[in-house]
Amino acid sequence: MIHPLLPNQLQKTQETMRMAAEFILRPISRKYDKAEHEPPVEMEQLNQAAAAQKKETEMGDDSVKSMDLGGRNLWAVISLEQMCWGDVGLFLARPGTGLGNAAIMAVGNPDQKTLWGKRWAAMAITEPAAGSDSKNISTTAVLDGDEWVLNGEKIYVTDGDRCDCVVVWATLNKDMGKTAIRSFIVEKGTPGFTVARLEKKLGIRASDTATLIFDNCRIPRENLLGGKEEIETDINAAKKSFGGAMQTFDNTRPMVAGMAIGLGQAALDMTRAILAEEGYEDNFGESMHNQSAVQRELEMLEAELEAARLLVYKSAWMMDNKMPNSKEASMGKAKAGRIGNMISLKCVEICSMQGFSEDHLLEKFSRDSKILDIFEGTQQIQQLIVARQVLQKSSKDLK
Amino acid sequence: MQDYKTEHPFDITLSEEQQMTWDMLRKFAETELRPQARQAETDGRPSDELLEKIKSLDLISLIIPEAFGGMGLEQDSVSNALSLEALAYGDLSLAMSVSLPLLTAKIIVEHGSEEQKARYLPEFVNGSIFNVGLGINNTSLATQPYQSSVNAEESGEEIILNGSKTGIAFADEANTFLISASNESGECNLYFVDREQDGIEIEEKDFMGLKGAPLSQINFSNCKIDSSNKLGGHNYSLNFQSLIDSSRIGMSALALGVCQAVLDYVVPYTNERVAFDEPISNRQSVAFMIADMAIETEALRLMVYKSSALKDLGEDFHKQASLTYRFATHHGMKIGTDGVQLLGGHGFTHEHPVELWYRNLRAIGIFEGGAGV
Repeated sequence: MIHPLLPNQLQKTQETMRMAAEFILRPISRKYDKAEHEPPVEMEQLNQAAAAQKKETEMGDDSVKSMDLGGRNLWAVISLEQMCWGDVGLFLARPGTGLGNAAIMAVGNPDQKTLWGKRWAAMAITEPAAGSDSKNISTTAVLDGDEWVLNGEKIYVTDGDRCDCVVVWATLNKDMGKTAIRSFIVEKGTPGFTVARLEKKLGIRASDTATLIFDNCRIPRENLLGGKEEIETDINAAKKSFGGAMQTFDNTRPMVAGMAIGLGQAALDMTRAILAEEGYEDNFGESMHNQSAVQRELEMLEAELEAARLLVYKSAWMMDNKMPNSKEASMGKAKAGRIGNMISLKCVEICSMQGFSEDHLLEKFSRDSKILDIFEGTQQIQQLIVARQVLQKSSKDLK
Repeated sequence: MQDYKTEHPFDITLSEEQQMTWDMLRKFAETELRPQARQAETDGRPSDELLEKIKSLDLISLIIPEAFGGMGLEQDSVSNALSLEALAYGDLSLAMSVSLPLLTAKIIVEHGSEEQKARYLPEFVNGSIFNVGLGINNTSLATQPYQSSVNAEESGEEIILNGSKTGIAFADEANTFLISASNESGECNLYFVDREQDGIEIEEKDFMGLKGAPLSQINFSNCKIDSSNKLGGHNYSLNFQSLIDSSRIGMSALALGVCQAVLDYVVPYTNERVAFDEPISNRQSVAFMIADMAIETEALRLMVYKSSALKDLGEDFHKQASLTYRFATHHGMKIGTDGVQLLGGHGFTHEHPVELWYRNLRAIGIFEGGAGV
């Protein structure tokens, strides 16, 4: 049945998480934007609210339950959309879960899931000389007896300072390209693993972004996450191995896209509230001859946001129904990433000096939104993925 | 947040029946409508043979109650939108040759008085699908979409119409027109006006697109009709905004069909067209335009689905329909212009259909009445 609408119970989740965002995150939004690198101490409340919602809607931890509600990925997108309506930076800084957790749950073996599943795991892929081309990383992993020895530098690691462990991407042999790339779980405090520095950033300042150094860092052999210890010579097996790692992104992209939607809605809501003080009202559906420039602009932005939202919900719904969603996840991320950014910047413009002022949060939203069109695959990477699938091209033909 | 209630989960799966209708209409669009699009433009109307085939789809009889000779099946808005998308994939003006009489019939079924239904509906079933010409599109720029550029002055048993309506399809075959007009208190209603009535003047007009169907303007000058000619009868009050909103979902579904046609055309073209020793689609500047087309087309599809689903729930769908039509207008035209751009000089000529789709997509956002959902 074609019914791209949210059932009552998911609407309840939405309302509860919106309340949490409004009453827990918003009041401390500016505080942690100013106090960059200071861990927010009020966040436990938000985790409790999310856990309570999860329990109430019977969304299990690792199995797709209650499909009649739309499944746990759609539930997750909807929850974090609302949390990010509150504050994206704080949402990213909430203790307990990072992107590494998604990777562990996606490709970890049962032992690893038990051992690390409840620990706060960050994800370390990017290096100073390798960003979107993650197959070019030069952090190395060498098996020495019953231990892996890691060497290299990782940058832009979200939660890198505050987490319990990090999922680190490294190569077994740099000359072998992507077939030699593996991910490893490295626990905080392991000798040879240090946090070199924290970045100062344009936005999401509440979230810590760390540079990590691995200098002859020795970790247990069983910390290899997914994939084999040897480099596969069989090309198909090798492809599958890297593809497996990349698949994590099909799962996380709808989530990041959901963040952009929450932020976009927050900017639109706040803009309307500011304009309402001066008598503004929407007039959806009117002709351009009867709309003010602002009415027309807000209607178009609302339409774009709704379009992005539906793409993202669809990609999450596909995950819940075990359909391959690589193209759809990238479509949603591309659309939501750019629209979230565009909306928040437009809203600052519409609200003029008030938008630009730190008296309101609009300027902060417009700084926070930029990263959502960059991390978890930039706008351009998403377009490449979509274009390759639509045009049925390999990465060799469409570079 | 949401202002609707539903127990049903989020879902985007076509029902078996919808899939069957979709496959049938999509095939019809590809094999019957698309090949005749150019000829229909040249002739200014579909051939008689094609019209017979269009009529034999029975899309209109389907919704007409059995009492008036139809099949009396309720069509939900989602299924309607799917049909419109499938047909417009072939050609927009030819799809509108079905969607316009369908909308007209639907309006009469939903709002007509028993007498009006008995008078006009059997004609649709008998094959005279253009017997009633629908006049919704305004000539004046300043007229609000939920109002009419024709004034209805009500004086006793008489209504006096003044003003103009345009973009009326197949007016030459109509014996009656169903015209929107605004009265002094700002209510907009529909009125049946006989073709032979004094005070009306019909002019055929040429437009940049939708040339596959004849379009006319009607000027009303002190045209006097009986107040019983008001749709629904003398005391009936029509929710005109809701009618326009429905039509806008339909127009968006038609736009979607054309957007999908453009996308499906440029993919093989840019994969085969070689420049600088490789297919032009190997270049990001080309490939990214196509990625965007795919993204916006899919987004439009979901917006059309959502607006129709909301309407089927019986909830207020005004905002959703407005956003959908706004999106269809903006991105439809973007896809239309990018389609020509991707084919370069070839796209500018009649050798390929992209210039036709470009001209037709300009009608989206302008036509208020043209598709029923």
